[in-house]
Amino acid sequence: MAAKLDLAVKSDQEIVALACAGSEAGYRELIRRYERPVFSLLYRMLRDRELAEDLAQETFIKALNAIESYRPEFKFSSWIFKIANNAAIDHLRRRELDTLSLEGSPHAETPDAVEATALQVGAKQESPLDAVEARELGGQIEEAIAGLRPEYRSCILLRHVEGRAYEEIAEILGLPLGTVKTYIHRARNELRQALAHLRE
Amino acid sequence: MNGDSSQLHLTPDDLDAWLAGTATAESRRHVEECSACLELVRAEEALTSQLGALPLYAPKLDFADQVMASVAIPDPFAIRSLEAARRRLLASPRSIAIAATIALALLGSMAASAAWTLANRETLITAGNWLAGEAARWAWLGLRSAALNLIEQPWFDGFRSLVETPGRLAITSAALSLMYVSGILALRRLLAVPPRRVAHANG
Repeated sequence: MAAKLDLAVKSDQEIVALACAGSEAGYRELIRRYERPVFSLLYRMLRDRELAEDLAQETFIKALNAIESYRPEFKFSSWIFKIANNAAIDHLRRRELDTLSLEGSPHAETPDAVEATALQVGAKQESPLDAVEARELGGQIEEAIAGLRPEYRSCILLRHVEGRAYEEIAEILGLPLGTVKTYIHRARNELRQALAHLRE
Repeated sequence: MNGDSSQLHLTPDDLDAWLAGTATAESRRHVEECSACLELVRAEEALTSQLGALPLYAPKLDFADQVMASVAIPDPFAIRSLEAARRRLLASPRSIAIAATIALALLGSMAASAAWTLANRETLITAGNWLAGEAARWAWLGLRSAALNLIEQPWFDGFRSLVETPGRLAITSAALSLMYVSGILALRRLLAVPPRRVAHANG
């Protein structure tokens, strides 16, 4: 118990040093500190609990197995959020490719062949499970966030839900500071418009 | 702020400063007079407070255990612990392929080496005998040179007088052991981590 309290007052850098020295408690403390923020970011980005859980696990495994390559001059939070955000964006891009509706193969010569080779829009339709998850996420604000472009969504979640500074968000997303500010302002404008009916 | 003289509306940076509680006096005056900016500021404040109040979601209870099952904890007392090496080797199809290639190369070279040894036993015995003889000759020469060099040193006679009789040898050994133990204790003390944070005077 005393050891746990002792870990809780240490900085991320100190905990990382402990983990690098082979302390399992150090690893567990890093997971304890970041499991909720990382999982929440992924859940809100992907709106799929199972998938968010898988990607959160992947994020931690990747980060913790490479802990010796972590550079203490950077924030640990930036590092882990960067891995999580990249995983989410990669997944969203792959899903986008999977659900592209194409007009069939250019080599198809008959209407049946065109239909048979066309990719169907399918994965984007909300399944009953998606609907349940949407309800769980609930609230009009969550719906409005889900309607944002993924880049805007990452920015607004990191800024206003996770409370990260603009500079840290720029580091996490690998974007210029000005772009981050622009994305956040545009995202707030879109959210304000999407939620305008609530204020009336 | 944007616009001309009396109608300088808030810029996004002004808005950020407002939300951070660091708005300039000029911005404040403007917001008091401009209903459009006042409405914008109120809407932004409401939105950011709603966003800030969103809850953090928790993953499953065994999340940490599941992560830890796939994490290789470094062993500071080993170059690479066997368990960690096993996990790394089996981490992906690529690493499995690399491990299999290395294992095959090792086994192949060992088999080739064993086959060559069996086919050339006479050569190996001759070469082994010659190497052993040369090694013994060089070792003896080295030892002799080192001993001669030691005896030639100006401090050698003094040192010899310290260990000449069993009594003196015992005293010298005891003194050297004491110095060694003191050195180890001093080093341990120097390397020990302080048990708690040291309070600093703030002047």
